[in-house]
Amino acid sequence: MGLALAGLVAGCASGVKHSEMAASIPTIKQGEGRIYFLRSASMLGAALQPDIRLNDQVVGESKPGGFFFVDRPAGKYVAATATETEKTLSFGLDAGETKYVRSSPSFGLVVGRIVLELETPEKAKEDLPSLSYTGNALTPQAK
Amino acid sequence: MGRIRLAGAWLALSLFLGACAPSVPISQSKVEISGREAAARRIRLLEPAAIKLDTGYSRTLAQDSVWQSFGRLPQGQVFRPVGTIFTIEGRQVHEAYLVIEEQKLVGFYLPGEENYSLLSTAVPLKFGDIK
Repeated sequence: MGLALAGLVAGCASGVKHSEMAASIPTIKQGEGRIYFLRSASMLGAALQPDIRLNDQVVGESKPGGFFFVDRPAGKYVAATATETEKTLSFGLDAGETKYVRSSPSFGLVVGRIVLELETPEKAKEDLPSLSYTGNALTPQAK
Repeated sequence: MGRIRLAGAWLALSLFLGACAPSVPISQSKVEISGREAAARRIRLLEPAAIKLDTGYSRTLAQDSVWQSFGRLPQGQVFRPVGTIFTIEGRQVHEAYLVIEEQKLVGFYLPGEENYSLLSTAVPLKFGDIK
């Protein structure tokens, strides 16, 4: 029990909070949009931390209490995780647009899975400040 | 205790059925949006609208939600949500814009796939133009 709990706790995101790094997040390049991936901090299903794929390319992991973002050219996108069953999420991305994709655990008859859904900007912006960055190191913007 | 077990069983069954949900019906070929306007028309729903998707899932279009014209398909005028997002769901989840013809929601444009998804039962909508 203790081991399981330790495993769950160890699995939570622990990077710098969005609220502490918001000023250092680069602006979106011309012709591109931004996709945030976020997951609420919850012990429920914390051990489930699958890769997240965007158009078949791994872009990060779904970690409880974590977020990351990727910038991509405007176009069509399909996001997915690979857990119990694969439920993909398709959406369009406009230049200059920011989309928010929330991952959350869901439990089936046998095992759990992580599902993706588009989140409203309003709700995502409420949650983001308390989440920890789990993406690649950001390069400083040229002044 | 019995209630909790029953609720748990129901939740598990719902999730299981969700995993087996049929796919959203989509057109066989890509669709092309025409008539994209710079100064797009905006409408506001005057009443909420309940939508029963053919996949068994349901959605509600909120009263006072605002939608902006995105262009036109042969099936009707396409409207995207303003300040929020809208999705439809079956086996997969798809971002969706409304396709409206003669004051009825007749289907959805899926921007992530450039496809059209027909709603088998059109839903009457009550909306007004935003000047």
